[in-house]
Amino acid sequence: MQEKDQNRRDARSAGDRLVAGHVSEDPFAAAFKATRMPMIVTDPSQPDNPIIFCNDAFRKLTGYSDDEIIGRNCRFLQGSETDRETVAKIRDSIVAGRDVAVDILNYRKDGSTFWNAVFISPVRDEAGTIIYFFASQLDFTTVKSREADLAAARHEAEAEVAKHTANLRAALEARTLLVHEVDHRVKNNLLTMASIVKMQARIATDDRQRKTLMSVLNRIEALSTVQRKLFTLDDVSKFDMSEFTRELVTDLVDATGRKDIRLSLDLSPLLVPAVKATPLSLIVNELVGDAVRRGLSDGGGDIHVVVRRLNGHFLIRVEDTSEPVEPDRESAQLGKLLLEASALQLGAEIQRKQDGRKTVVDVVLLVGDHQESAH
Amino acid sequence: MKVMIVEDEMLLAMELESEVEMAGHQVTGLAMSSAQARDQLGKAKPDFAFVDIHLMDGPTGIDVGRELAAAGIPYVFVSGNIKRIPPDFAGALGAIEKPYTMNGMKNALVYVSAIIQGDDSGAPPASLVLAEDANAGKSFG
Repeated sequence: MQEKDQNRRDARSAGDRLVAGHVSEDPFAAAFKATRMPMIVTDPSQPDNPIIFCNDAFRKLTGYSDDEIIGRNCRFLQGSETDRETVAKIRDSIVAGRDVAVDILNYRKDGSTFWNAVFISPVRDEAGTIIYFFASQLDFTTVKSREADLAAARHEAEAEVAKHTANLRAALEARTLLVHEVDHRVKNNLLTMASIVKMQARIATDDRQRKTLMSVLNRIEALSTVQRKLFTLDDVSKFDMSEFTRELVTDLVDATGRKDIRLSLDLSPLLVPAVKATPLSLIVNELVGDAVRRGLSDGGGDIHVVVRRLNGHFLIRVEDTSEPVEPDRESAQLGKLLLEASALQLGAEIQRKQDGRKTVVDVVLLVGDHQESAH
Repeated sequence: MKVMIVEDEMLLAMELESEVEMAGHQVTGLAMSSAQARDQLGKAKPDFAFVDIHLMDGPTGIDVGRELAAAGIPYVFVSGNIKRIPPDFAGALGAIEKPYTMNGMKNALVYVSAIIQGDDSGAPPASLVLAEDANAGKSFG
């Protein structure tokens, strides 16, 4: 105890000597004393490197009086929550005589804590020997707590986002599943409808009846082909008119088994809004069906189909060269109705030109760029 | 050729049976589940099969397909969702997408029966997606 008191007295007298070395009007000493930045000086030549001087700001920060500070090692500011690694870093730097800047949790006299940004730097004499250590402190508890608040808020926001993302993902999965299920049912129902009509056609003994049923079947199957082509593009709101036309016309011509019906295609990808798929496909089905029927007459024929953009609008052209035949009156009447209704719905123009054995039908659909686009 | 039809919708199966017979082939049996398919395969070996993916006992058409492939019986899937077919096509020649058309099925039958008789000179019809093309990321459309 006596020894301790002696050490304290030594520390105090060292501090006094330090101050005495500066005349009272010394601006550096005055600044040291008056600054709002807490500062201390320690003396490494004494046992345990005690504080020999502190300024008013340091006393305010820590809540200790001069008597309680002078002669003690800085570690009295540490407490149970102070990070041991940070303490070790300070100690190592002092032993090595290096500058050190760390953030450390310190304790006031009343037990409250503050985050201290400490900078410690050795002070050397002319020979290079360390005579003092100088340390400045900065209470950045408010910054630290704001950081903690921000981090907490960020974690909370991230958790919220993760939750919403999971919900959205689940909703998207449910929607995708539903779309697939509905699509599957529509497909099955279309095939079931077609099957019922085919069964009735097989049962029918009257040729007229059978023809009528096959005419109905043909239109149902056009819709089946539309349904198969829907949702196949990455953009499910679009429908590729060219793909549809290619499949419809090749299936139809192949099934005739006639080598004398020669088919040529000039198709460019043409994406139309899915809502236009049905009327447009019914138009193509009627025109191609007509051309193939004409080609079925003796001598066959040539069929040429064009699907492409034309001056920003799009064009579907069905051209055939064959012996004109008298069409089935009822079937032709249904075809005409379907063509007219679909064209009316789409605002499409249908132009038919006939020159001897050659028939050319143009369907021009006037569309804005916002409604359709080619690849 | 002798054709087996594996399809859980009886109406569609019967109609397909008529189409197959109209094209001059014989139908060895209609199976609505994988168990029925196995049972029929144990009794008679067809030359070819149509296999729906979704059967009465679930999406077991793929298992039936693998067993057909293992037994050396060529087949095609007939499904409303050909995206569900595994990348290796489970050994199938290809797939016909529902709702197929009468012409599409007719053309596929002509092509398949030619292939089975060893004639691969014909071009595949638009209605049949071949396994090799599907695997190459293409499809006949």
